[in-house]
Amino acid sequence: MSELGELDRPGTPGSPGAWDARSEAWLVGAGRAGRGADGPAGTDTCAGAATDGCGGAATDGCGGAATDACAGAREDGSPATGTWAAGACAEHDAPTGSRDTPWGGFDADEAGRLGVSGAGMVEGVHGEAFGAAGGDPRGDSGTAEDANGAQGGDHGARGEQHGSRGVSRAETSVDSTAPVRAPRSHGAPSAPSATSAAPAESATPVGRPVARRGAVDPVKALMHRHHDLCEQAVDPLEIAAALEVHGLTDRAAARFRHRDVFSLAEEMYARVPRDGDRLPPPPNSSAPLREHWAWAAFALLPGVLCAAAVMGLRSTEGSPRLAVAAVGALAVALALRMALGRGPLRTPARTTPTGNPVWTCWLLAYAVLGDGLLRAALEGGPDGPWPMATGSALALALAFGPAVWCARLFATGARRRLAASRGLEEFASSVTPLLLGLIGLFLSFLGALLALCGGLLGEPAPYAGTGSLGGLLLVARLLTAHGFGRTPAVVLGIAAAAEATALATVFAGRLPCCAFLATPVEALVDAGGANAVPALVCAPAALILLIHAIRTLTRASAHAHPPGSP
Amino acid sequence: MDNRPSRHRHVRIRSSRCEPPGQRRLPRREIGGALVRIGLLTEGGYPYVSGDARLWCDRLVRGLGQHEFDIYAFSRSERQEDGGWTPLPSQVSRVRTAPLWTVEDDGPVHGRRARRRFAEAYGELAVALCTAPEPGSPRSAPGPAGPEADRFGSALCALAELARDTGGLVGSLRSETAVRALERACRGPRALRMARAARVPELLDVAAHIECALRPLSLDWYEDDGLGSVDLCHATTGGAAALAGLLAGYFNGVPLLVTEYGVQLRAHYLQAPDGAPSVRALLASLHRRLAAEVYRRAACITPGNAHARRWQERCGADRSKLRTVYPGMDASRFTDVGESADCADPRTLVWVGRVEPSKDLISLLHAFAEIRKEEPKARLRIVGAAEGADGTVYLGHCRALAAQLFPDEAEGVHDVGDNPVSFEEIGGPEMPDLAEAYAAGAVVVLSSVVEGLPISLVEAMFCGRATVSTDVGAVVEVIGGTGLVVPPRNPRALAEACIALLRDPKRRERLGAAARARALELFTVEQNVAAFHGIYLEVVSHTPVRRVLVDDAGEPLPFGTPAEAHLPGRWTEVRTTAGRPRWASPPGGGTAPVRATGPVKEPVPTAEGAR
Repeated sequence: MSELGELDRPGTPGSPGAWDARSEAWLVGAGRAGRGADGPAGTDTCAGAATDGCGGAATDGCGGAATDACAGAREDGSPATGTWAAGACAEHDAPTGSRDTPWGGFDADEAGRLGVSGAGMVEGVHGEAFGAAGGDPRGDSGTAEDANGAQGGDHGARGEQHGSRGVSRAETSVDSTAPVRAPRSHGAPSAPSATSAAPAESATPVGRPVARRGAVDPVKALMHRHHDLCEQAVDPLEIAAALEVHGLTDRAAARFRHRDVFSLAEEMYARVPRDGDRLPPPPNSSAPLREHWAWAAFALLPGVLCAAAVMGLRSTEGSPRLAVAAVGALAVALALRMALGRGPLRTPARTTPTGNPVWTCWLLAYAVLGDGLLRAALEGGPDGPWPMATGSALALALAFGPAVWCARLFATGARRRLAASRGLEEFASSVTPLLLGLIGLFLSFLGALLALCGGLLGEPAPYAGTGSLGGLLLVARLLTAHGFGRTPAVVLGIAAAAEATALATVFAGRLPCCAFLATPVEALVDAGGANAVPALVCAPAALILLIHAIRTLTRASAHAHPPGSP
Repeated sequence: MDNRPSRHRHVRIRSSRCEPPGQRRLPRREIGGALVRIGLLTEGGYPYVSGDARLWCDRLVRGLGQHEFDIYAFSRSERQEDGGWTPLPSQVSRVRTAPLWTVEDDGPVHGRRARRRFAEAYGELAVALCTAPEPGSPRSAPGPAGPEADRFGSALCALAELARDTGGLVGSLRSETAVRALERACRGPRALRMARAARVPELLDVAAHIECALRPLSLDWYEDDGLGSVDLCHATTGGAAALAGLLAGYFNGVPLLVTEYGVQLRAHYLQAPDGAPSVRALLASLHRRLAAEVYRRAACITPGNAHARRWQERCGADRSKLRTVYPGMDASRFTDVGESADCADPRTLVWVGRVEPSKDLISLLHAFAEIRKEEPKARLRIVGAAEGADGTVYLGHCRALAAQLFPDEAEGVHDVGDNPVSFEEIGGPEMPDLAEAYAAGAVVVLSSVVEGLPISLVEAMFCGRATVSTDVGAVVEVIGGTGLVVPPRNPRALAEACIALLRDPKRRERLGAAARARALELFTVEQNVAAFHGIYLEVVSHTPVRRVLVDDAGEPLPFGTPAEAHLPGRWTEVRTTAGRPRWASPPGGGTAPVRATGPVKEPVPTAEGAR
């Protein structure tokens, strides 16, 4: 089989059909009878055989040529021809109507001459299938009884004279005379004669050969039994492996006129109807992120704690106030840590530790304390505690909830687009707007929160500095959560260092001869207020990270399963 | 270099090669003058207590005490690692392990050049995977491999070299570069039909699976003091273990011997997850090509039975490299039963095995019903336990069917009757051990519809029992002509064969004796070990590892390895009888092997000799 190319194969049968109205009528009747559970076994046999034969012949395009019978004839004439498909394909191109002997050169005279082959065919009907066993290697040495052999030969000859429409009739008559045993419901179509390694030991006379549910095309019956397997197989070897698991050996494959299971599997694989344009069904939408919704509660925790701390701060004075501030900061930090440990912003397992937490804390601390300190330093202070930007702190803490929510939207959206997109470019171009939109959404949330907190607490809202810091932190965390932790660490470190430098230059300017060091910061603060420093530091950093994120987070590989779980 | 995604447990038990040549300890049992240092590669196997082919490997290592074994083991799961190792014999000089189930992705990120190298190599690999085989190309034909196999092999080699030079392959294999290369290959010309339909998630899946399959590339086993120092790699399975051996061959020219008792590729097809067709197609292609590359590069392949052999031939193994080595079984348990005269009840049939639906006990019971029509005194003993829920349910069915088919019967009116079919388990009072089970029957029956290499049949052969079995799996190969074989799912044929044997004690005896002789010749542990010993020596002698010695500056030394190094025997051995002629040495005092040349002077250290 393996030496046959694609063009040499018979057409793959797509649907069972009949080649003329008469046989169709017969087929319908027989099929109905065969389908009945209690139908007589003989009818059952006919139905099986005829259905397969009709289907194969009709869709092969061979017209009335009963392909299997042809194969059988070929087999008798030249025993080396081999396989079903080889015989069938010889008939493939011949127009049916113009031929006198649709049996492929096998006529009645020849049948009479080849008495042995007639017997062989009858044995085939008993054992396996009409056409199939004609080419059975054991057919010639079959042990059919004489009477049956003669009768069968007769039937066979008659069938050939009738030409194409004789197929079903010949089988019917043979089957009606043959003793029929009801086949096992799940039995493989196996040869009745014992194949034995030690024939002398166990060549037991098997009484009368037992008729099994025959199939004109045994491979087709096999394909029907393993329908799902054939449909899903990606490789002939897959079919071969599964067939072997079902107990099909090379010797069994010989009954399908194949040298081994592999070539049988190749034929089955080649005969599975496949329409090239059919795409696999799209995966059933995106699997929902299976996680607890606890992260939603945890995401709100920092905001709640921070609000409590701010209220405590505003209602206390002196040293208790310091204690409240310390406790509040600690509580918010712990809540943040817990909230970041779950939900969409958690870092993947086994990432290399970066300096992220340190830089993040420094940047946040600067957002709360830095502006006041800078202003005090420029005015010569600080003398005693300087004012804290509690509004910024509260807004940032409250914005953590929307940040987590945005991250989740991004994750689900990216997953959905991943499932839907056909190419990497398509995915990237569909995720970029999502990413930008979500960051914009977060920034507007943050702005609203800043305005709200500023209004409530009576402080000016530092939109530029805190807003850009919020954006920076969100993008950095998104990147880290998707496994790109190196760049954010570097950028955050640089930003923190820049802010620290700004503060340090102001203090260093107080040293003798070093007044020039404080000049740039002074000029900056004069021009844009103390909030200009973090704005000028965080906004470029956020922009850089955003560009990096647009390059990396739009990759499909960023949204793959975590490594270690293929 | 830090390219190890693995936590190695590097145990150096004893390594005689680390000693200076003068103090080198002579192996005590030198046979034929050759001492082979074998790198035994296992996957989820030998040194672990819960390993797969643990017993076989253990017998092999213990049986070949004259050789040295370095064991390189992949573990399959954390539980397996926690289970610990079996006690190792002294010929195991070192054990190195690496997990396949986890990965530490903290290798260095590739620089620009490494990235380009990676993209090139991976692109080639992806194209080789996605390309449909030439229509009409005879896949099983031996001979020079086509350009496709070359393409895959060279891409694999390039990736391995990259991993050795720069590390960080794990991250790259899952990177966007990899996915992009896969996409390009899937959309390219002559791509597999199913690969064309791959969407982005499928591409990601495939990339992840490829990374898993290529994890052996990232190991640090291929150094000169690792697999580079062995004379022969023996992979006990296909798959990852064989891939490691393949890489040792790439880097160090170490010959590879692959033993497969079950073909890994076939197991892959059977376990293939229900993924998208494109994923399955590409993975099947990957594993097929990996197997083909392993078979192509291996010096020798030893399938465990003809079935595995057929698969290997199908996957491109050269027929001249294939050597079937049957698994060995411990025959001593069955010696008593096999050697003693047949004292069993001449009308008892025995079935031994694990009760499963694939054993088709129903068919056996129906056959026994037919036997009872002819031989009313016959009895059937079904020995074995059910495993798993399926097996338990099936055993219940079988018991019910037996109760229906065969009513209890008694000798006389006043006796207590019992059923002619009995279900028993090993370890019960009537059957203390397995050999007793076989001894209890005159004929051993095997009625499976699916079978690999049937152990129970081999055991029955060891016990010298006549057998009737169904023609499935490797049964015919095992039984040869020493038992009866009938088609599967054919109770009448089974019954007739059993009746024929039950009625003919002479024939039973003849068949049993022949079966025992055959089993002793083919399926003993000694046979297995001897076969591997021979194969080792043959492979080593055909493909000796020529190592280029380098001096301190890294320049190759042209005559660093003297010609004597290739002679049998240990030329570096210290001559205790120096200064005296050979005949003057006290008889029996020296254990030195006979040499082909005259006594060699003290060996000159290679570095000095070249200066």
